[in-house]
Amino acid sequence: MAKPRFRHIGAALPRKEDLRLLTGHGRYVDDIEIPGALHACFVRSPHPHARIKAITTDPARQSSGVVAVFTGADLAQWTTPLRMAPPIEGLLPVEMTTLPMDKVRFHGDPVACVIAESRYLAEDAAERVEVEYEPLPAVADLQQALAAGAPLVDESLPSNLVSVQKYSTGDVAARRREAHRVLECAFHQQRMTHLPIETRGCAALWDEGRQHLTLHIGSQVPHPLRTQLAARMRLSESQVTISSPDVGGGFGQKIALYREELTVAAASRRLKRPVRWREDRMENLLAASHAREDSCRTRAAVTKEGRLLGLELEILEDFGAYCFYPANYLARVVAMILTGPYKLRDYAFEVKVALTNKCGNGPMRAPMAVTSWVMEGTMDAIARELALDPLEVRRLNMVEPGDLPYTMPSGEVIADITPRETLEAAVKAIDYAGFRGRQAAARREGRHLGLGLCSVVESTTYGSKFYKAAGIPGSGHEAAWLRIEPSGAVNASLGLGATGQGYETAFAQVVADGLGVEPSQVRIQLGNTDVAPYGMGSRGARGGTAGGAALYLCARDASEKVLAIAAQMLGFDSAEGLRMVDGKVEREILGERVETGITLAQVARTAYLDPTALPAGMAPGLDFSKTYDPPPMTYSNAAHACEVEVDVETGAIRILRYLVAEDCGTVLNPFVVEGQQHGAIAMGLSGALLEHMRYDEHAQNITGSLADYLVATATDLPNFEVLAMHTPSRSNPVGTKGMAEGGVMGATGAIANAVNDALAPFGVLAERQPLSPDYLRSLLRSARRGAR
Amino acid sequence: MLDFELTVNGERHAVRAEPRKLLCDVLREDCRLTGTHVGCEHGVCGACTVLIDGRPARACLTYAVQMQGHEITTIEAVAKDGKPSALQQALHEAHGLQCGFCTPGIVMTFEAYLKENPRPSEEAVREVLSGNLCRCTGYQNIVAAILRVAQAASDGKA
Amino acid sequence: MKPAPFRYHRPQSLGEALALLSGHPDARVIAGGQSLGPMMNMRLAQPAELVDLNDLKNLSFVNEHENALEIGALTRHHAVATSPLVRKHCPLLAEAAQTIGHYAIRSRGTLGGSLAHADPAAQLPLVAATLGAEIAVAGKRGERRIAAKDFFVSLMSTALEPDEILVSARFPKAAPGERHAYLQFSRRQGDFAIVAVACTLLHQKLKIGIGGVEDKPVVLLDLEPSDPAALGRAAREAVDPTENPRVPALYRKELVEVLVKRCVAKCLTSS
Repeated sequence: MAKPRFRHIGAALPRKEDLRLLTGHGRYVDDIEIPGALHACFVRSPHPHARIKAITTDPARQSSGVVAVFTGADLAQWTTPLRMAPPIEGLLPVEMTTLPMDKVRFHGDPVACVIAESRYLAEDAAERVEVEYEPLPAVADLQQALAAGAPLVDESLPSNLVSVQKYSTGDVAARRREAHRVLECAFHQQRMTHLPIETRGCAALWDEGRQHLTLHIGSQVPHPLRTQLAARMRLSESQVTISSPDVGGGFGQKIALYREELTVAAASRRLKRPVRWREDRMENLLAASHAREDSCRTRAAVTKEGRLLGLELEILEDFGAYCFYPANYLARVVAMILTGPYKLRDYAFEVKVALTNKCGNGPMRAPMAVTSWVMEGTMDAIARELALDPLEVRRLNMVEPGDLPYTMPSGEVIADITPRETLEAAVKAIDYAGFRGRQAAARREGRHLGLGLCSVVESTTYGSKFYKAAGIPGSGHEAAWLRIEPSGAVNASLGLGATGQGYETAFAQVVADGLGVEPSQVRIQLGNTDVAPYGMGSRGARGGTAGGAALYLCARDASEKVLAIAAQMLGFDSAEGLRMVDGKVEREILGERVETGITLAQVARTAYLDPTALPAGMAPGLDFSKTYDPPPMTYSNAAHACEVEVDVETGAIRILRYLVAEDCGTVLNPFVVEGQQHGAIAMGLSGALLEHMRYDEHAQNITGSLADYLVATATDLPNFEVLAMHTPSRSNPVGTKGMAEGGVMGATGAIANAVNDALAPFGVLAERQPLSPDYLRSLLRSARRGAR
Repeated sequence: MLDFELTVNGERHAVRAEPRKLLCDVLREDCRLTGTHVGCEHGVCGACTVLIDGRPARACLTYAVQMQGHEITTIEAVAKDGKPSALQQALHEAHGLQCGFCTPGIVMTFEAYLKENPRPSEEAVREVLSGNLCRCTGYQNIVAAILRVAQAASDGKA
Repeated sequence: MKPAPFRYHRPQSLGEALALLSGHPDARVIAGGQSLGPMMNMRLAQPAELVDLNDLKNLSFVNEHENALEIGALTRHHAVATSPLVRKHCPLLAEAAQTIGHYAIRSRGTLGGSLAHADPAAQLPLVAATLGAEIAVAGKRGERRIAAKDFFVSLMSTALEPDEILVSARFPKAAPGERHAYLQFSRRQGDFAIVAVACTLLHQKLKIGIGGVEDKPVVLLDLEPSDPAALGRAAREAVDPTENPRVPALYRKELVEVLVKRCVAKCLTSS
């Protein structure tokens, strides 16, 4: 092991955030007291697809405590529509108004907003808004969406197919002809939703005198949200402040500017009164944002030894009714990183995205969640087809350390990853070698065990160059700001939006190392756009790497100036040999560290209050900012292994063991990283086993409560065994690789592979998630050798 | 509107509210105790769990008006003089919370449960914890924290 | 998700509560509120008057009689599950009550509420039907006792009249040597069962109750304690599950077969 590079980075520091959250003193949006605030409630469509013939608001306006009722026509005067038209080949431009005016497109679509003295009164009045609908035929799934003559979800488009993108490299047709076998696999990932325990919500305060809007809102991306909100209200960014307090989970649901939030902001400006909105759980399930619902097929050409010669991927994604993101945004990443750790030259993909009469999709923790299941399920299929050991098939195809950096067939470059090392560690730890014996013994007793492997190469920290190459507008940069106050107190900020990742702790550790202070001296100030620098926020596992590097570099700048001042105070010509440790300036003399007696507080006092004592030409103060654009993509990697038992009589799955060996580079705080690993694996398993946002064949949502939308509880999940195998990345100054989404990818694939391993004696294969007991029973029932 | 009195964390609060106003809303808006969080309003997520006469209950399935004559305890009363309870401290040390939104409900559930069952098994802890949804942690560190408190109780008694 | 307005009543006696009910046809009683609360919050139930029974402390009890335990309607599930009397004399009831919902739900939810709500997948209606409990209801005409088999009429519907209140239930005590078992299958801990099975064995006669399958619990009486697998197959043929978009009827039938088999096997080997 190399000597640790850092003094504070990597320390298991308990979180600074915890005390307030544990004692009930956290401050989430709804906890902010706003005198005189009105409450919003949205009237939502009961129809999946219908023309709006008329909206009668008078009875609602006369309801007790009601201040106003607004409809799409009102909002259209005060806000601009959202146009989603990035210049991407194969992606059609779409547009939506703030609230629908001509027709509703899904069950839950907001058609009017009631503003009243309390949420109770607003709900009473919402029941009195009369909307006359003319129901239209609805599109409930991909098959209906793509059928000839299908009803159009968006009438500005020629069909429901909003995006089609194809790619091919090498010659997959030739590889198929040469192959020993060509096999096809299918993977259907169901519709899900993020389900933060705190639903969406906001509070808007319009200051008529200053002509300024403050929006309190739990947001992952305060600055991009401000840019969009300002533009859509025809305000300048200097007229809008976004203030994001403690946030009760995001998982991708708190990125977009939603129509409800824009409506609340516009209502506050119109009424010149504070207006707040707290979405209830039914609204959150019906109408916040959904995710996934991908149908994927692979066609693999292989040699008889199991070597992959060529691979073709087809993805069909059900994107719902509205595009809050470019429609290709999620599925395309799956196609680009599919091959992960495997060597392959000949590859082709086709990604199609269709609109349906369902709630619009967005990125959910691991937008590319299906990737590893598709690839590793294909690996297992190769092993099954050729009667080979699935581990051997992986070993045969996997990149070796000497192959790195390796250019994937999509053109993506992987470097500084350790897929072989993590795979070997995982199979050793789970006793892969001994498992087949245990499995055979259990089968003799009528118990059905299965073991699933899943290697993950996780794309993180998407840089500006990736976005440019992928044809997605936006930047991958992050920004940091640091100010040492006259007392020596250190404040720092980033453009990130915290939703539970322990930023206040981990980034204090980053500053501590970059500057040379103790983490306890550092206060991280996040979420307020008047304080935080303009960064792109929290998404795509970028906080630690884009944010960490920006802040570290910023702190290094600060350190340089601090030491230059210290040198001057000590009467030295230069700062050479000086460094600061825990706020005290030291000097190196013949390899020995000697205290100089100068502290950060003294330096700060000089910088602010005695500028004439500063080195010639140096500006007063200690205020620093830095932006940082990471490489096009940073990759981390892991190997997951999962052992299950399937009760073939009931279809129930029990997880016996779950293990992950992961390499995510330099760890800022091991508590936080392990917590993210647990959380991501849990979310992956919850999705694979339980979660399912269901619509009936008429596109009515039948998942309106938490008794219908099932997420994993403490009794559904095992303890996770985590093998930390971190090796630093060389592509950024801290060495982090980004993490927190790969666990979802790995769990999605590992459990599916484990269940299929258990079901193998019955000759059936689960190709759909969730792996519900009745689905497994339906497979087993149809098994030819359906012995029980 | 009705006028009534509530006893919350040993303090009396005069409340004027409609009978339909949920206990969680009265605690948050009228008593200004915002530590009790609202996650689903149909009794499933457990975020709003408080104690009624020492027993855990969903504040979203209770009307405040029903609570006259009863003692309500919320998360704000668990730490004494700024000192976290053993359970709160264990959750901190074991990284048993991330976004923290579900945390008060979990703390209240187990402050009650551990009084009744000071030394539960992991299985029992998971069974009780299954009444509180957490979307961040995967539950493992919460379970570890609760077992740590149970172990300490065990050691203390031994 | 906030309830519609209602007038609130807090009677101090059963008589007062009954008078309120007969005076207000649009009244609902509330006890633990664990079923009615969600329905009111979602505005699926909008009673004009809410009659809160929580002050009727004399409805919270477990009394021992010669051949039965009498349990007051306001007794919380947690109290039922942990009562030494219930554990001793009606162990099936204690075991099933322990699986209701979650800890906080059990702390608040009541026996009377669960029986009156009559969810076909709920534990207490199943146990009451299986054991042949007798349910006492009070009305302005006095008290009447209804056998469980007559009390549960169909999906969330009982023999309780709108102006009556369920006051207690009598569960027969387990006879010396009587064995029992309880099994349920749900997607997650604490969810309503997709299928639940309770059974008792006394004097070589098996009683099997099946919940979650039809619109009320199904009870199969006087069965020979033969091969559990055969009993499972017989039970599967005996039930007629309602089709449901989430759970196919065929799957419920399969679960009935498996759970009856396992429950009977467990019962036969229990002590």
